[in-house]
Amino acid sequence: MSDNVPMRPLSLPAAVAAAALAIPVGLTCLPPSPRLGWAAVALAEAGQAQTPAQSPAIDFARDIQPILAKNCYECHDARKQKAHLRLDSAAAIVRGSENGAIVLAGNSEKSPMVRRLLGLDGEDRMPKDEDPLPPAQIALIRAWIDQGAAFPAGAEQTAAAPANPEPQHWAYRVPVRQEPPAVKRTDWTRTAIDRFVLARLEKEGLAPSPEAPLETLVRRVSLDLIGLPPSPREVDDVIADAARSGRDAAYEHLVDRLLASPHYGERWARPWLDLARYADSQGYEKDLPRVMWKYRDWVINALNQDMPFDQFTVEQIAGDMLPNPTSDQLVASGFHRNSMTNEEGGIDPDEALYEVLVDRVNTTATVWLGTTLGCAQCHNHKYDPFTQKDYYRMMAFFQNTDYQSRTFSDGTRFSEAIIDLPTPDQETKRKAIQAEIDKLNDQMKVTTPAFEREQADWEQAAKAEASLHWVTLAPKQLEATGGVQLTAMADGSVIASGASPGDTTYTVHAVTTLPRITAIRLEALPDPSLPKGGPGRDIYGNFQMNGFEVGASTGSGQAPDPLAISAIRADDSAGGANLDTFFPKMLPRGAHAPRGWQIDASREDPRRPRQIVFTFDKPLAVPIGTPLTIRLKHQAAAVGQAIGRFTLSATASATPERIVQLPARLRPILAIPVAQRTEQQQKDVTAFYRTIAPSLKPTRDQIADLQKQLRALGIPTALVMHDKTSYERPSAYVRRRGAFLDKGELVYADVPAILHSLPDDQMPNRLGLARWLVDERNPLTARVTVNRAWEQFFGRGIVETSEDFGTQGSPPSHPELLDWLATDLVRGGWHMKPVHKAIVMSATYRQSSVGTTASVERDPYNRLLARGPRFRLEAEMVRDGVLAASGLLSQKIGGPSVYPPQPDGIWDIPYSSEKWMPSDGEDRYRRGLYVFIRRSAAYPSFMTFDATSREHTTVRRVRTNTPLQALVALNDEAFFEAAQALAARVLREAPATSNDARATYAFRLVATRMPSTTEVGRICAALDKQLQRFRSDPAAAAKAIKGKEVQGVDPAEQAAWTLVANALLNLDETLTKE
Amino acid sequence: MDVRTLRAITRRHFFRQSGFGIGGLALTSLFDQRLFAQNVENPLAPKAPHFAPKAKNIIYLFMAGAPSQLDLFDNKPTLQTHDGQEIPAEFIPKGERFAFIKGTPRLLGSPFTFKRHGQSGAELSELLPHLATIADEIAIVKSVHTTQFNHAPGQIFMNTGSQVFGRPSMGAWLTYGLGSESRDLPGFVVLLSGENAPDGGKSCWGSGFLPTVYQGVEFRSKGDPVLFVSNPDGVSREARRDSIDLVDDLNRAHRTDVGDPEIDTRIASYEMAYRMQSSVPELTDISREPASMHEMYGTEPGKVSFANNCLLARRLVERGVRFVQLYHRGWDTHGASVGTDIATKVPELCLETDRAATALVRDLKQRGLLDSTLVIWGGEFGRTPMNEARGGSRLMGRDHHPRAFTVWMAGGGIKPGITIGKTDDLGYNVVEDPVEVHDLHATILQLMGLDHTKLTYKFQGREFRLTDVHGNVVPKLLA
Repeated sequence: MSDNVPMRPLSLPAAVAAAALAIPVGLTCLPPSPRLGWAAVALAEAGQAQTPAQSPAIDFARDIQPILAKNCYECHDARKQKAHLRLDSAAAIVRGSENGAIVLAGNSEKSPMVRRLLGLDGEDRMPKDEDPLPPAQIALIRAWIDQGAAFPAGAEQTAAAPANPEPQHWAYRVPVRQEPPAVKRTDWTRTAIDRFVLARLEKEGLAPSPEAPLETLVRRVSLDLIGLPPSPREVDDVIADAARSGRDAAYEHLVDRLLASPHYGERWARPWLDLARYADSQGYEKDLPRVMWKYRDWVINALNQDMPFDQFTVEQIAGDMLPNPTSDQLVASGFHRNSMTNEEGGIDPDEALYEVLVDRVNTTATVWLGTTLGCAQCHNHKYDPFTQKDYYRMMAFFQNTDYQSRTFSDGTRFSEAIIDLPTPDQETKRKAIQAEIDKLNDQMKVTTPAFEREQADWEQAAKAEASLHWVTLAPKQLEATGGVQLTAMADGSVIASGASPGDTTYTVHAVTTLPRITAIRLEALPDPSLPKGGPGRDIYGNFQMNGFEVGASTGSGQAPDPLAISAIRADDSAGGANLDTFFPKMLPRGAHAPRGWQIDASREDPRRPRQIVFTFDKPLAVPIGTPLTIRLKHQAAAVGQAIGRFTLSATASATPERIVQLPARLRPILAIPVAQRTEQQQKDVTAFYRTIAPSLKPTRDQIADLQKQLRALGIPTALVMHDKTSYERPSAYVRRRGAFLDKGELVYADVPAILHSLPDDQMPNRLGLARWLVDERNPLTARVTVNRAWEQFFGRGIVETSEDFGTQGSPPSHPELLDWLATDLVRGGWHMKPVHKAIVMSATYRQSSVGTTASVERDPYNRLLARGPRFRLEAEMVRDGVLAASGLLSQKIGGPSVYPPQPDGIWDIPYSSEKWMPSDGEDRYRRGLYVFIRRSAAYPSFMTFDATSREHTTVRRVRTNTPLQALVALNDEAFFEAAQALAARVLREAPATSNDARATYAFRLVATRMPSTTEVGRICAALDKQLQRFRSDPAAAAKAIKGKEVQGVDPAEQAAWTLVANALLNLDETLTKE
Repeated sequence: MDVRTLRAITRRHFFRQSGFGIGGLALTSLFDQRLFAQNVENPLAPKAPHFAPKAKNIIYLFMAGAPSQLDLFDNKPTLQTHDGQEIPAEFIPKGERFAFIKGTPRLLGSPFTFKRHGQSGAELSELLPHLATIADEIAIVKSVHTTQFNHAPGQIFMNTGSQVFGRPSMGAWLTYGLGSESRDLPGFVVLLSGENAPDGGKSCWGSGFLPTVYQGVEFRSKGDPVLFVSNPDGVSREARRDSIDLVDDLNRAHRTDVGDPEIDTRIASYEMAYRMQSSVPELTDISREPASMHEMYGTEPGKVSFANNCLLARRLVERGVRFVQLYHRGWDTHGASVGTDIATKVPELCLETDRAATALVRDLKQRGLLDSTLVIWGGEFGRTPMNEARGGSRLMGRDHHPRAFTVWMAGGGIKPGITIGKTDDLGYNVVEDPVEVHDLHATILQLMGLDHTKLTYKFQGREFRLTDVHGNVVPKLLA
C-alpha cells in the first residue's frame, strides 16, 4: 500500500505524517470466535485472502461500537477523555484526539487508531496496559475503515446524552420487518424462517442438512413442546399416520396434538419459573417454607390457554391493580412476590425491603427488556444508555407496596400481602369451625364461683404438696471429683465450694426413710456464698447438670446399678420442657455434651429455687435404712457450671410430678395471700391454672381438636402484590453507590429516558409500567421473548446472550430473522403457540443434528444452523424422561409441591428444623417442576444437572457435563427406582420370546429410535454377564429388585435387566435431545 | 484447525454454553492457548497461574458465627478497667447500626487473661493454649474489617467478595483459575461441623455464574461422603463396572454416528465417577491413621467433629485438592440466652477447635506441606467491645461488629511469627494497617500465583472478579 490509496477524508482535514510503512497488514487468522458472530468469521477469511474490500458490510453500531465500548470507553468517553479523545459518539470519533484525526476513511493502514491498536510508531499500544485486542477485532475495525468508516444515521449524537434519546444500539431501535430474502435452494425452504437461515448459509457457502429421521423428529418435537419423550406406541402412531396421510401431514398432526396437550404448559412453565425465580421457600438464613404453588399453577394454565404474552405480562406485573381483579389475577401478581425475603434476626426491615425492590427492578429489566439494569444501581450504566436515576425511577414503580413490620423476640420482619384461596366449600367449613373456636375461647375466660373454688382448692393442694409428700434425704457422706468441696448443712442441703472445674461429679450417700420410693427430687437453691447468689457456680450463678443417677445398695458390697428413670420433669428449664436430652442418648450434631438441666439467668432471676423430679420406672421398695448412692454429673462444660447448693428428697406419692407442675416463677406468688397479690400476679396464676384446670379439660381438648380440623382443611394461600392507596406519583430515593444508607435525590416513577415514554393514557404506576412493557413501541420485549423461545429449541438464542441485549451482549446471528419473529409475535396478538409452531414447522428445525467433522469444525456452536439442534436435556427433563420411560411418571397436573426421595440430611443445611418427608404414592413420581424448591438446599440431583436454586432470575442455565451427574443418574434412589421399574416393565410388556425383542423394546423406551442389530447385540451380551453374576449371588439379586419384584420371573434375570435398564437410562442419547 | 483445537472449542460445557464467548475469553487471555488445548479432557486439570505461586492449596478454617476477637486475640486492658461503663458517645459513628444493641451500650472487659508467646511475643488469650505453642508459625491480622453485620450476607461477603447471593465463591474462583491436582476428587471440598450449617448456606461455596464444576462439593459426615457415590443395594463394584462398560460402548458407537464430541466428555465423566467411587471412601476413612495422629488432633473416627475435619483436610490436600474449606458454626456469642454467652460458650468452642487447628498446622509442617499450603482461620466479622444485654440479659454477650476483627494465617508464603494491624483502646476501630475483605482476597490470590485484577469472568455484560473493583495485596503478610 502507498500514499496513493484513494482517501476519503472525514469532515476534518487529516494531517497524517506520511511515514514509510511496513506494518504487518496480513491479518492473523484465528479460529472463528463465536462471540464475534458471523462478522468475525467472515472477516477472518477475508483477512486471509487479503481482500478486505470483498468482506461483508460492516455496521458500526453492530460490529464496531461494542468493541470500543468494551475496550476503550474506560478512558475515552463522556466521563474521561485521555488525550482529549472520545470514542462514544460519531462526532467525537470524527473529531479525533489532541493529535488530530484518528480515522482515515478508506485507509486503515494509515489510520492512527489502527496503528495505536497495533502498538506501532513507538507509541504505547492501546488499550494501554491491557491485553491487545484480538486480531479478529482489529480486522473488523480495519475493514470498517477501509469500507469508508460510515456511521449509521443518528450516530452523530453522543451515546450517553439523554437529551436525544435516538439510540445507536440496534436493540433500542424498534424492530423493522423485512421480507424474507431470496434464496437459491427454494426446494429446501418451508417457511419464512428458512429463507432467513438459508440466505445466510448460502452467503457462507454452506448447505443445510437433510431432514432428521421421523423417529428422531418425533422425539425432538415431543421434548420441545411437552418436555416428555414419546412412547413407542406414539411413535408407531405417527409412522402409521405418515403412511396414510404423508410424512408432512403426519408431522403437523403431531405438532398440533402436542401444542394442545396439557403437558405443554408444564414444559414451558419451567423456563418461565426460572425467570420468575419461583421457589417454595423464603431464601436467606433460616429459609423457611412459603406457600406459592398457586402461582406456579397459574403459569401452567396461562400457557396452556395460550394467554397472549401482553396479558400474561400485565397480570403478573400488576394483576392486583386491574379493575375488580379476579383471584387468578391476584395470584398472577405473585410474580414479584417470588423475591427472596430476609428474615434473619437483627435485619433492618426497610433494608430487607430495599433488597427486595432491587430484585424486582433487576428481574423486570432482565425478563422483559433483556437489559442488565442492575449495573445502574450504583452508578450510571458503563456501557448501555441507562443512568442511575433511571434505575431508581424504575424502582419507584415498586416502592408503593403495602407492607407491615412486625417485631419478634429475635428481631423485626416485614411482610407483604397474603391471600387465602379456599374453595367455597372450604370457606363454609372454615367459618363454622372458627366460630366454634371463638365461642370456646370465650367460655375459657369465664370465671364462675365454681371455678374460683376449684382454683383455691388447687392452690391449697399445690402449697401442701411439698411438705406433705416429700422427705429430705439427709446426706451421710459426700464426695466430689475435680477438687470440689461439698459441705452438708443443718437443713439437709449441700453447698459446694473450692475448685470449679468444667467436669465434676457429686456423690451423695444417704439412707432410705420410706419403704417405697417412687421418685427423687432435686432442689437447686440460692446461697449468698455463690456467684450472683447462685444456685449455680458459673459467674452468673447458672448451672448445667447433665447426668443424674440413683443406686440402692443390695448389701452385697457391690456398687449398685443405677435405677431406671422413666420421666424427668422440672419446674423451670432453659432447654425447654423436653428434658429427654438429659441423658447422653440423644447427642445433638457435633461434640456437645447434652444440655441437661439448665436455668437461664439472662431472663429469670437465678436466685429463685428450682426443682426437678426423677420418677423411677418401677418404685423402689426396700427396707428403711437401705443405703442410697446419688450422683449429680456435670460433664464437658468448658467452665465450672456445677450446682452450688442443693437438697435431695424422696417421695412415695403416686403422682410425684405434681410438685413441678407449678412453674418456679409462680411458686413465690402462691405464698402470698390472694388479697395481697397484685392484679398482675393474680392474673398470671389464674391464666396458668386455666391451662391445667380439670374442669376446663373438655373445652381445651375441643379447641385443640377444632384447630386440628382447621389445619386439615389445607386451605392454600398465595403471596400477592398489594399497593398502598396513594394519589401521589410513586417515588424513590437514589441510593448513592447503591448503598441503602446513602440516600440521594428523590426521583419519581418513570421509564428509562432512552426508551419510549409511558403511554399517554397510563398512570405512572405499576400498571402503567406493565402496559409500557408490552407497548408496541417497546423495541425489546417482543425480541427478547421470541429469542428466549428460539433458545429453548436450538440451545442458543439468535442473540446468544439472551439475558443481555445491550452493547456488551452478543450481536444477533440473524438480526432480520429476529425482527421478523418479533413483529410476527405482536401481529399475531402476542400468542406464543403460533410462534412455537412456526419454529417447529420450519425446515431449519427439522434438520438432522448429525454433524460432519467439517461442519462441526466450521461452526462448532451451530450458530449458522446448518444442522439441527443437539444438546443435553435440562435437569427436570432428565427426571421426567427417565420416569416416563420406566412407566412411573404421574400425569397429575398442578397442586402443592412434592417431595421425591432425596438423601438424608440435605435439609440439615439451613438453620431451621424443617424436615424433608418423602412423598408417598403418585406424588413420588411427579414431574420435576413440582419438586419442592428450598433455595438454600435445593433438590440435589437437579442442582447437579445445572438447575438453579432460584435465588435470582435466571435466563440461561449453564450446561455442564460432569462426573457428579454420572453418579446421580447411576445411583440416586429416584433414578435407580426408575431402572427397577423399567426392567419390570420390559419383562411384563415385551414379548418374552427373546432377549433381542426385550432389548429392542427397552432401548425404544429410553431413546425412542429402533436400535441397530449391533446395539441389540451389545445389550444382550451385557445382560448375560450380569445374569451370570446374579445367578451366583441370589442375595444381591433380591436386593437389586427389592420392591419391584415381578411375579413368575427369575429374580436373577430381573436383577440383570435392572442393571441393563440402569445403563440404558444413562446413555448419552437418553439424556440428550438430538 | 487441528482436532485438538477443535476439541478445545467443543468442550463448551466446561464454560458456559456460550463457550469461548464468555468463559473462554477469560481463559484464553489468562492461559496460554496451547496449554489450554492440552488440558481440554478435564476442566479441572491444572492450569498455569499468572506467576510463580507460593502456595498450591488452601485450607480455610471458617469460624462461622463470628468469633470474639476481644476474648481471643485483641487484648484490651482499657475494656477491663472501664467494664460496665457506658461507651463514650464519640466512639460510635453517627448512624451506626447494630444487629441487636439498643440504646447506649456498656463496655465489656474480657473475662479471660492474655499472655505473650514464642519469640514473636504474640498475645493470645488463655483459651488458646494449643495455638500458643505455634505462635511463631502464624501471622495474626488484628485489623480486618468488613461492610456486613449480619451472618448470611457477612459470610457470603467473606466468601465471594459480595454480600449479594449468586456470586462465585473464592474456592470456585481458584479452581476455575488453577484447576485441581487431583484426578479423582473434586477441586474444591467443603466440610461442616458445629451446631448447624453456616447461615449463608450453600451460597458460601457456590459457583455463582461460573460453571457448576467449580462449586464446592460438600463431603458429608453422615451417609455417603459425596452424594450418590455408593452403589444401590445389590449392585457390586463389578456389576457397576459392567454397566458403565455398556454405557460407554453404546455411547462410543453413537459418537461415531452423530459426530458430537460432547459424547467423549460424557464417557470421560463416567470413568471419573467410577474412580471416585473408590477414592472417596478410602479418603474419608480416617480409622487407619496411627494413634499418634488421633492423639494430636483429638480425632475420633465416626464422629462428626471439627477435629476429624481437620485431619480430613490434610488428607485432601495430600491428594491434590486445591481448596478445602471447613465451617465450624457456633461462635455467635450474643449472651442473649444460656449457651450463647462469652463466659461459657467461647471456652467451649475453643475446646472444640484450638487443638485440632494447631495440630493441622503442625502436621502439615512435619510432612513438608505447610510451605505449599495456606491455612486461614477466621469468621465473617468481629464482636462489639460493648455488652449486648439484649432484652435486659444479664449474661456477657457481644453483638456483631464489622469494624475490626482478627484472622490468622499460616504457611503458603505467609510471613510467620508476625502480628499486623492495631485497633483503638477499646478495640472499636482499626487504627493501623486496615485490611478489608477484598485485600484479604487479593493477598490470597497473590499467594496462589494469581493477579486478582486479571482473574476475570464475563457475566451479564461485564467482567467480574473476586475482588470486584477493589482489593490491594497486603505486602506485610508476604514472606
